[in-house]
Amino acid sequence: MAHAPTVLDAEGKDLRAASTELKGLLGKDAVIVKNAAHLHGLCGGLKSGGITIEGNSGDYLGVLNSGALIKVTGNSGKYVADNMTSGVVFVNGDADYGAAQYCYGGTVVVKGDAGDFTATMNKGATIVIGGDVGAEAATYMVGGDVIILGNAGENLGNYLIRGNIYIQGAWDSLGHNCTVGELDAEDVHKLGALLDEYGIAADAKAFRKITPLSDKPFYSH
Amino acid sequence: MTTVGAFCVTLNRDQCINARMPGKCATCAEVCPYGVFSLNGGNEVVVQNYNVCVGCRLCAEFCPENAIRINPAESELVSRYPWTLGTVEEIHHKALTGSYMLRGFGATGQTPHFDGIVVVPSQLASPAPRDKYREECNMEVVIGEDTCESPIRLQYPFLFPAMSYGALSKEAKLALAIAAAKTGIMTNTGEGGVVEEEPYYATGYEKAGRKRRIWEPGGYLVVQWSTGRWGVSADYLNAGDAVEVKIGQGAKPGMGGHLLGDKVTEDIAAIRGIPVGSDALSPCRYYDVLELEDIKKQVEFLRDITNYEKPILMKLGPSRPYEDVKAAALAGVDAISIDGLVGGTGCSPEVVTQGVGIPTIAVIGPAVRALKDLGLHRKVKLFALGGVRGGLDAYKAMAMGADGVGFGSAAQIAMGCRGCMACHQGNCPYGITSQNPKMRERLDPEEIGQRLANFINASAEELKILTMLSGHSDVRELSEEDLRALDVNTAAITGLKLVGYERALPWWENGHGK
Ligand SMILES: Cc1cc2nc3c(=O)[nH]c(=O)nc-3n(C[C@H](O)[C@H](O)[C@H](O)COP(=O)(O)O)c2cc1C
Ligand code: SF4
Repeated sequence: MAHAPTVLDAEGKDLRAASTELKGLLGKDAVIVKNAAHLHGLCGGLKSGGITIEGNSGDYLGVLNSGALIKVTGNSGKYVADNMTSGVVFVNGDADYGAAQYCYGGTVVVKGDAGDFTATMNKGATIVIGGDVGAEAATYMVGGDVIILGNAGENLGNYLIRGNIYIQGAWDSLGHNCTVGELDAEDVHKLGALLDEYGIAADAKAFRKITPLSDKPFYSH
Repeated sequence: MTTVGAFCVTLNRDQCINARMPGKCATCAEVCPYGVFSLNGGNEVVVQNYNVCVGCRLCAEFCPENAIRINPAESELVSRYPWTLGTVEEIHHKALTGSYMLRGFGATGQTPHFDGIVVVPSQLASPAPRDKYREECNMEVVIGEDTCESPIRLQYPFLFPAMSYGALSKEAKLALAIAAAKTGIMTNTGEGGVVEEEPYYATGYEKAGRKRRIWEPGGYLVVQWSTGRWGVSADYLNAGDAVEVKIGQGAKPGMGGHLLGDKVTEDIAAIRGIPVGSDALSPCRYYDVLELEDIKKQVEFLRDITNYEKPILMKLGPSRPYEDVKAAALAGVDAISIDGLVGGTGCSPEVVTQGVGIPTIAVIGPAVRALKDLGLHRKVKLFALGGVRGGLDAYKAMAMGADGVGFGSAAQIAMGCRGCMACHQGNCPYGITSQNPKMRERLDPEEIGQRLANFINASAEELKILTMLSGHSDVRELSEEDLRALDVNTAAITGLKLVGYERALPWWENGHGK
């Protein structure tokens, strides 16, 4: 018989108390955390486990995630999945400023919109934004894939060094060192599989692809 | 006005074409409009009249064999300042290339520094001197004693500051780790990720998982958390004994780390997650910090990710030391390093290194006052960086209230560096700041680690001598009363008593400066 998930009520707890309790529960079943919007940096550096944040989260949720599956049923605060290296972070609502920055790996899915400077300095993660992203998304990205189903703000992909931005909607302006192209068969296959996996209804062929012009746009021309 | 005999003209006859083949070349005689060179009866170039040389160096520029040297007869700082040869060459470089100058090392030239301060020895009116040869002197500094489960206990009040793998070679990084282990101090990854051997070398072990140290007493490794986040993961943060949050550094405050593509080898590219040969230019600020409160949140989650075991440190550039140190302490860190104008670097724009930031002796006082005003002086440890050359500078910084000092450039020099300032080009002939395998071969980590350890031990002895001759047996007893400023400028900047006057300058005395 399946166990009911373990519930951690974070109300009135500080990061140290809530995090210590959470780490103690992770060996068991999936954990649901309630009333965690005041906690910043919760689920930091976890190597495994499945955690659902019921409602909204604070800032830096899942920072340095190293393998856990973290879901937020509401909206996430600023810098969700910051510097993640592996695992999955899934936000059912919107993500505030700076979602999925500095990630080396793993997957971040935001069903709704994401704020400015999303996916900045992405170094290898797959980052899917179901709605629109703000300005400066994927700034100084050096690897990985960013998939945007909606529109993007100004300066998209500024100083892109490596990696791909797939976008279905429009953008206000492109940043330096970007070029726009069409998807090849491999891109369509990769994107299609990803959209299927996260239950996102979209046609992979309808996307355009933004890639870097040069991987040395600063001093070493 | 042209001075007679202002320049010495040297012609290297071994290189000169005309000296080997009279009648040939003689370009110098042709291009010099002042008649410095001429041809004698045998068609040989001679220095006819060096007194008329104006130092335009046109002859040297045209000489196909680089056989001519023109040197000022007296220091250019006297005869041509502010249009010294360096300035002239810099303007030429910009005019020819359209790019500004980059270089390694810190600010050079005359800025207020430790040399404007002297140590006051003990005689009758103060506690008697201690005997360096037969009495003990406590130099230990503990970081995170009340806040962390694994505090750091430095045997000496010294550290090797952040110097990244990339800026430094792997061999130099390992030499620093070995020296830290041999002297019980800490070394720092810098912002380029961790070299595999660094964590166990720094703590004194030859191999991971070994139970017996080969380098006693064992030191510590600080891992740096910075704006480029190169090679950073939860495992990286837990690989060291402390985490340092970098806000800035003295050589380029307000700018991020610079690692030019020439130094980005396959290994470094893999650690940093960037293409081989591309420039790694760290952002000047954290993309994931919008307000001061976010820094506080970062300190909290760094503690959480390191299981509340390891001290969290912060590194500041020289900006507004009182306010910055206050903000850093309020963010909840266990120690703060503050770098001064002279602080070294592996690569920075020349104008930034040379002209941006507050001198080290001017940041220490305000930093100490900030901690005192918060009741945190000696609890949150303060390390002064930037131009610290040995035990004498360390003593002065500590008597001004710092808990310890860091040796960056001095450590490079202890490894063999001669201060050529070309670190950014990646061809360091001593293998210190080079990624070229041929140059790196020249640096044996164990041998150079021992040189670094010797330097640290000697500097510690110097600090001990000075501490004891001024009547103390613990470096924590040092105070401003142990120092005097040698000139009005230094007294005005530091608030120290002026020699001869034996008081602080009036505006310090009536409290305006404090
Ligand atoms: C080769 C080199 C690399 C450096 N890399 C870093 C770095 O990665 N992060 C950092 O905060 N500071 C870095 N610094 C600055 C030092 O940590 C330190 O602030 C400075 O060297 C202190 O001044 P000093 O050189 O006069 O002792 C570097 C300095 C040098 C010389
Ligand atoms: S000798 Fe090496 S480390 Fe020293 S300044 Fe020159 S290049 Fe830099």
